Amino acid sequence: MKLKFNHVDFYYGDKAPNLFEALNDIDCEIKEKSFTCIVGHTGCGKSTFIQQLNGLLIPTKGSVFAGDFVVSSNKKERTKKLRPLRQKVGIVFQFSEYQLFENSVEEDVAFGPTNFGVKKEDALKLAHENLLKVGIDESFFKKSPFELSGGERRRVAIAGIMAMQPEVIVLDEPTVGLDPRGVKEMMTLFKELHDNGTTIIVVTHDMNLVYGYATDVIVMDHGKIVYQGTPNELFDKSVDEYSLETPLMTHLIQELKQKGYKFDLQQIKSLDDIVDVIAKQKGGAKNE
Amino acid sequence: MSSITLGRYTPRDTFIHRLDPRIKILSLILLMVAIFISYSTWEMTFIIGGILLVFIFLLAAISKTSFKSLFKSLRAMWFLIIFLLLINILVKPRNAVNIAFSIGSLDIYWESIFQSLKIILRLFLMITLTMILTTSTKPLDLTYALEWFMKPLKLIRFPTHEVAMTISIALRFIPTLLIEVERIMKAQTSRGVDFKHGKISSRFKAIISLIVPLFISSFQRAEELADSMEARGYNPKAKRTTYHKLHFAWNDLFALLLCTIFMAATIVFSAMDFTIKTPLFVPWLIIGICGVLFYLFGIGAENARRHKK
Repeated sequence: MKLKFNHVDFYYGDKAPNLFEALNDIDCEIKEKSFTCIVGHTGCGKSTFIQQLNGLLIPTKGSVFAGDFVVSSNKKERTKKLRPLRQKVGIVFQFSEYQLFENSVEEDVAFGPTNFGVKKEDALKLAHENLLKVGIDESFFKKSPFELSGGERRRVAIAGIMAMQPEVIVLDEPTVGLDPRGVKEMMTLFKELHDNGTTIIVVTHDMNLVYGYATDVIVMDHGKIVYQGTPNELFDKSVDEYSLETPLMTHLIQELKQKGYKFDLQQIKSLDDIVDVIAKQKGGAKNE
Repeated sequence: MSSITLGRYTPRDTFIHRLDPRIKILSLILLMVAIFISYSTWEMTFIIGGILLVFIFLLAAISKTSFKSLFKSLRAMWFLIIFLLLINILVKPRNAVNIAFSIGSLDIYWESIFQSLKIILRLFLMITLTMILTTSTKPLDLTYALEWFMKPLKLIRFPTHEVAMTISIALRFIPTLLIEVERIMKAQTSRGVDFKHGKISSRFKAIISLIVPLFISSFQRAEELADSMEARGYNPKAKRTTYHKLHFAWNDLFALLLCTIFMAATIVFSAMDFTIKTPLFVPWLIIGICGVLFYLFGIGAENARRHKK
């Protein structure tokens, strides 16, 4: 599903003292089956941006195209029923661990699919599948979500969106507050989903994640898109311009480059890749 | 959501915004008395009602309270208004004589129409007044004022500070909870919940999906707040100062005088045509004056006790 923003403005409040321009002339396209990261400082409009994607917020000006759906400021152009769009574009909000309410974990995950007309048994089946995918095993299925730890609850919430089988999954800072291993597991999960053909959009502050996983990156500042392209290009030149942090990997590669090693940035996503390249250039074999 | 935020504080710099919150509360009470005084004839009731309406609208204009939100509050009352009209029309008032019109065998009296109009007018005036107070006063200032008014109760060991603290925390968290509500609603809408349409059963489920997370996070928040207050050494029994000291000024005196005159005038008007019932007034007046004196004595005693410490 292709997502396209056509000169979108969004204002909070309607009159002078309360008016706030959250989005200012957003004009961009998020490619189908891409892994897009959205970065930018707090309050730059990232969260507002993602809420346009499934019609939770309607643009003040301009329109958003999501597949066949049109979310436009113009009532006539707008798609009448936006609910089906929410099945196609699933959003996992920040602090999603606080949205659970059912009696058991499996019922909570099945809640989304049943809302979109999936039968109860099928929904439970979907729930079980997706819970296993996020690393919640059978022993948790019948537990109350409130017995779980924060990290586990967040996984359940993410499974709740995955169970709706959306074509696009949007995640607002999904790794905040997780331990390093949890972050890695979570990102690997998203990468698997991406490999299986789901478009993934992640809002994050962690440039290392952007470096390691994103195929596309959008940098926002004061409600505007200031950069859109690949992470390699971004980290190669213009990081300072947007006062973003340089990923550790970029630092490492730059230092190694000074020592005479050559890298193809397209190929390098993790530390293992660097080790392989060094080994190769020193005349050793792969995985040595 | 807009109906909940009705009457929310809007920062402006007007005469009414600058008044001392204690004076504002006192004036509110005085004007409320003026609103609720009744007169023997309908003409009198509506003439005084009209004067009050003009006066209160003037206050609203001075404090720049938006008239749009005033009428929104009226719109929110429509159910109450219809209910009142029905009840008053169906129940024949005492000494009702003037039939306005009849539907079949049911006689509609002018008195019952007037009666319901009177109640609606009073309600509207009351809501407008309270809205002027809340839009022109910071919630925190209101609690300071309430704490000040509760001072005499300290003599009987009533925990005034704790009550004021609880109220101010509750007020402080209303916007936070509203944001929370919005956040959870958005999250559940993304999971396919429809809060606005659908069958009763599915809407019930929608409400549950909102209420349960809201309760959980509120309790969590309360616990965290209590912990963080304790961690910073909060002691409810300690003597404390406030960041903003409340001061009376000349404009406060002016406002108080104006409102007192207004109340006094309505009482006088009411008493004038209540010639027969006037004696009934006297004991109430005496009780009222005694109450006020007692109260002032309380404040004085509390201040004296504080100075001694």
